[in-house]
Amino acid sequence: MTERVAVTGVGVVTPVGIGAGEFGPALRAGRSGVRRIRAFPCDGFETQIAAEVDDASLDAVRFVDRPKLLKLMSRSAVFAVAAAAMARREARLGADAVDPRRLGVCLGAGGMGVVDLDLLAGQADAVLASATEHGGTSWDIPAFARIYRARTNPLSMLRGLPNLAAAHVAIQHDARGPNSTVTTACTAGTQAIGEGLRTIQRGDADVVLAGGTDAMINPVGVLGFGMLGTLSRNNDAPEKASRPFDKDRDGFVIGEGAAVVVLEREGFARGRRAPILGELAGYGVTCDAYRITDERPDASGAAAAIHRCLEDAAAGNDEVGYVNAHGTGTPMNDLTETRALKQAFGEQAYGLPVSSTKSMIGHLLAAAGAVELVASLLALRCGFLPPTINYETPDPECDLDYVPNEARAARFDAALSCSFGFGGQNACLLIRRW
Amino acid sequence: MPADTPLVANERLGETVRQIIADVLMIPVERVHPSSALVMDLGAESIDFLDFVFRLEQALGRKIPPSRWGDFVKERLDGEDLASGITADIVREFAEREAAAGA
Repeated sequence: MTERVAVTGVGVVTPVGIGAGEFGPALRAGRSGVRRIRAFPCDGFETQIAAEVDDASLDAVRFVDRPKLLKLMSRSAVFAVAAAAMARREARLGADAVDPRRLGVCLGAGGMGVVDLDLLAGQADAVLASATEHGGTSWDIPAFARIYRARTNPLSMLRGLPNLAAAHVAIQHDARGPNSTVTTACTAGTQAIGEGLRTIQRGDADVVLAGGTDAMINPVGVLGFGMLGTLSRNNDAPEKASRPFDKDRDGFVIGEGAAVVVLEREGFARGRRAPILGELAGYGVTCDAYRITDERPDASGAAAAIHRCLEDAAAGNDEVGYVNAHGTGTPMNDLTETRALKQAFGEQAYGLPVSSTKSMIGHLLAAAGAVELVASLLALRCGFLPPTINYETPDPECDLDYVPNEARAARFDAALSCSFGFGGQNACLLIRRW
Repeated sequence: MPADTPLVANERLGETVRQIIADVLMIPVERVHPSSALVMDLGAESIDFLDFVFRLEQALGRKIPPSRWGDFVKERLDGEDLASGITADIVREFAEREAAAGA
């Protein structure tokens, strides 16, 4: 298909703001959403910080047509439904504006399976009760079955299926076209938007609600990533903990939230005089096929994803004016990513601003790539470079322009958003001025 | 309601059933009339009936075997359309039967 694909609306639920109207200014101000964890008691945890969505600011009932459906939604599904509603409203895509069969949904989801805190608590209580029932000390499965069955609402399992976030979005929007869920964790949001692009390019839909969602701030998630040594332990200074590319970086901070963008075939968008925010011009995806957590030291997998994305967009290296990095703040990622950018851009890498918005909002896992694409688009439209905050001590091996600490005004015509995840999965998107 | 204080009085049971229906469907309890058809009038779907039975188990303090509701509906409605036939009153009748069966 030779038609371009437009982005006509964006919706976000993030630790620093709900809706683009809050999120954009927060990025420009360099605001951090990282705090001491409030969702559960975290004393004694090695990592006691996270970037949580402010529940008081998110009135979920506003975003669903029947409150009853909220019962069936996981926290991450609620985020996705809210983000999709906001995106569609911004796109001014009315209720009957698109044939339902030509409206698709593609979401990144299920960073670690979907495990809401209250579901976990219910399971924990039942395991405990089963163990102690007869004065025992270990998990008695038959007793657990009886106790769990007696206490647990049968519908709760439905909140645990990762594909249901996309189902809830489809129900809210009568989206009967292609529907898929991408579960590549750190790259899922980027890949879901890329697959949404391909769906339109293949002619399978005119409009796709694409994005990502995740809500993994629970004891098992925080412990799990912590035990792998990937999380920052800077508990005494939460807002300073996420410090991508800084010499003293010590890991990432888990965040939560969602972003959805409305992708439209150019002809369809023009036909309804849609507000066009930008062009989703390219997508590249590769796999390191190397190790489960370590990236290839030569960064070849990541560099290849960047290269493929630029090729897909028919974009020259010098067209890219900003890179929104994966930039988790782990010692390894930031180094490898720096190498990848140098490989892909050569000497031009030194003149290319690269920043990590994870410095402000943490790592939103399956939502990260989607939220970061929105950040890139807002930066392009509003003419600024989001900063990498907490950049205090340069690392000699990471020597690019990371837009340290303060946003800068800049006009550019194309931005690259990168995600490089566990499993060696690498994905990039290019967004271009229309 | 804690599992160890089951309801036995019919009036309380009737009110409890109304509240359960309202809670499951997330509608104001005032909208639940004896003749309200759960599916056609109040927007219930299949999985909501799993939720009703679960909450009734909690209220009665005892497990209701999985096939009981289905068997009751089949027998009571005898071929009548389920969408219009399952009323709040029918649900109350089921609750009373289950409460009596456990007593």
